[in-house]
Amino acid sequence: MLAAPHKQTQAEGAKLPPATGRQFRDVRAASKLSRGAAKGLAITYLSLIVLIPLAALMTNAFNKGLGSFWTAVTQTESIDALRLTLLCAFVASAINAVAGLATAWVLVRDRFAGQAIVNALIDLPFALPTVVAGVTFYTLYGPLSPFHVNITGTWIGVTVAIMFVTLPFTVRSVQPVLESLTFNAESAAATLGASPARIFRTITLPALMPALLTGTGLAFARAIGEYGSVVFISNNLPYRSEVASSYIYSLAVSDQTNSAASVAVALLIIALILLIFFNVTAQRLAKRRA
Amino acid sequence: MQIRSSKWFRLAAVGTAAALPLTILALEPAQAASTNVSVVGYSVVGPAYKILEADFQATPAGQGITFTNSFGASDTETNDVAEGQAADIVNLSYEPNMATLVGDGRISPNWALQERTIGGVNPAARFKRQQTTYHTPGIVTDSVVAFAVRPGNPLGIEKWGDLVKSGVQVVTPNPVTSGSARWNLLAGYAAQISLGRTPNEGQSYLQSLISNTVAQPTSGSAALAAFIGGTGNVLIDYEDDINAAIAAGDKLQIVTPPETLLIENPIALTYTGSANPAAVAFYKYLFSVSGQTAFADLGYRSVLKSVWASTESKFPSFKKSTDLLTVESLGGWPAVNFEFFSNTVVFPNGNTTFPSSGIVTYLEKFAGSTA
Repeated sequence: MLAAPHKQTQAEGAKLPPATGRQFRDVRAASKLSRGAAKGLAITYLSLIVLIPLAALMTNAFNKGLGSFWTAVTQTESIDALRLTLLCAFVASAINAVAGLATAWVLVRDRFAGQAIVNALIDLPFALPTVVAGVTFYTLYGPLSPFHVNITGTWIGVTVAIMFVTLPFTVRSVQPVLESLTFNAESAAATLGASPARIFRTITLPALMPALLTGTGLAFARAIGEYGSVVFISNNLPYRSEVASSYIYSLAVSDQTNSAASVAVALLIIALILLIFFNVTAQRLAKRRA
Repeated sequence: MQIRSSKWFRLAAVGTAAALPLTILALEPAQAASTNVSVVGYSVVGPAYKILEADFQATPAGQGITFTNSFGASDTETNDVAEGQAADIVNLSYEPNMATLVGDGRISPNWALQERTIGGVNPAARFKRQQTTYHTPGIVTDSVVAFAVRPGNPLGIEKWGDLVKSGVQVVTPNPVTSGSARWNLLAGYAAQISLGRTPNEGQSYLQSLISNTVAQPTSGSAALAAFIGGTGNVLIDYEDDINAAIAAGDKLQIVTPPETLLIENPIALTYTGSANPAAVAFYKYLFSVSGQTAFADLGYRSVLKSVWASTESKFPSFKKSTDLLTVESLGGWPAVNFEFFSNTVVFPNGNTTFPSSGIVTYLEKFAGSTA
């Protein structure tokens, strides 16, 4: 996924008519200038928005030493919260990988009435305040559920809320790749007598795999930090149904900033390891195909 | 040309992205004008302020005054104000939040005396001032800890003892983030003391109560929402909040237990608020007969003797004075907060049943390990 747009730009560049003389120098100089400006802006922006806050968080987590970081992270309440969060994030992103792929497939390869509307609906979980999503799930799948399904206070409830919030990640990562796939290889395989299942397994899925992995990685990272939609549906019982974000919040408001930062950093480290794993695997798969 | 336009497009995109946070910073409201009052309060009191502010705006003193409000879990709001959020008036759930704000230099250490110096009320009937009901200064509203049950009270919940019976599912907010939760748990404990039980028996009661708890939402309002959403059989809450929910049409029934705890919600003008005439005028209004009557109409027990005398009949009364204990009678907030809610659990020598500090912190963990 990460490599794909880059390649596309190169391809576009190759299609342009060859530049000559002065025109060429102008373009080079202008692009050099714009690249420099863009780089400067990007670095300033990243520093302000991401790096400085992250550095502050790290300082906060470790300013009382590695020992106190470790103590904060290994508290029973912390471990219980981290375990629940990771379990739910894992299950939710695994289900979303499959469901998101299917959704993207239907949106790209099928034609049906109202397709454009469904396509627009996919992004709604991003637009909806997550607290509203939480309350809606509570009403639909809570003690007063019209379907007589009560999943509040369980890990399943937390997982369902997370699935809703993270669905767009998988769909929107897979969709453009699926759209740009040509039917050539698939048609060839079909002509040679391969079954649809085999075509999907050996041709389509491998092509989608890098995008799917990236999307799932993003969904997972988003899931472990989710607060608004899950804090209500979980019933928030410490040691029993409290998610990591809620535990961090309770530490932060009760003057335990160090512990809050420590657990947050533990969560970030887990997210980072997984994101690196997903991205490296995705890139390796993309390279192998190229 | 194609390249040129794409370059400009790219630059514009990056520029916009970089300018966005700056724009947001620039949009941050400028120093509040003197006709605006920022009120920060605990979640449950929020709806009352909507009404009180409108009432105040209709008085001559309130002409042209506008309000900015922020209501949420008491400890969260306290933290925000301590970290610099604009606030002229802070009406928080319980006194330790005020102590935090004193420590962070937002309110005066003598905040509780503002009711006398600014609010014009007095615990004694002197100087023709309005006399207050209870002796704790700096308190703007009283209430008691009560229960909300399902219509018809199917489980027959009448007193604190009924909450620890097997099969009863209790909803109360999380004591780490919510002031309301602290009042609730202390009330359960206080009721045992009222009944002549020992502190150790009171702590065992809390242990049973916490293991019967099925949800601990982050604030008092969130707990009410969860209960209305169908979770649990009993919600422990402020009497005024339950009455407000019933008045709003929620299908609940209120049960006031025969022994419980008096809730006292403190208020203060911050340093910025004291310098803001509009905030001072609103503060005065909150302690005036009309302000306190408005509070009483909303289900709060008034802190003014005159208003209380005319509204007392609306509220259930208590047989003995020891049936309605105060936090003061349990040792005062600093001691009680340390003993029950400290996050450091310490066991005294020779006693391995209950800790001497962080009782609730310990019991939460215990409930977690036996669940």
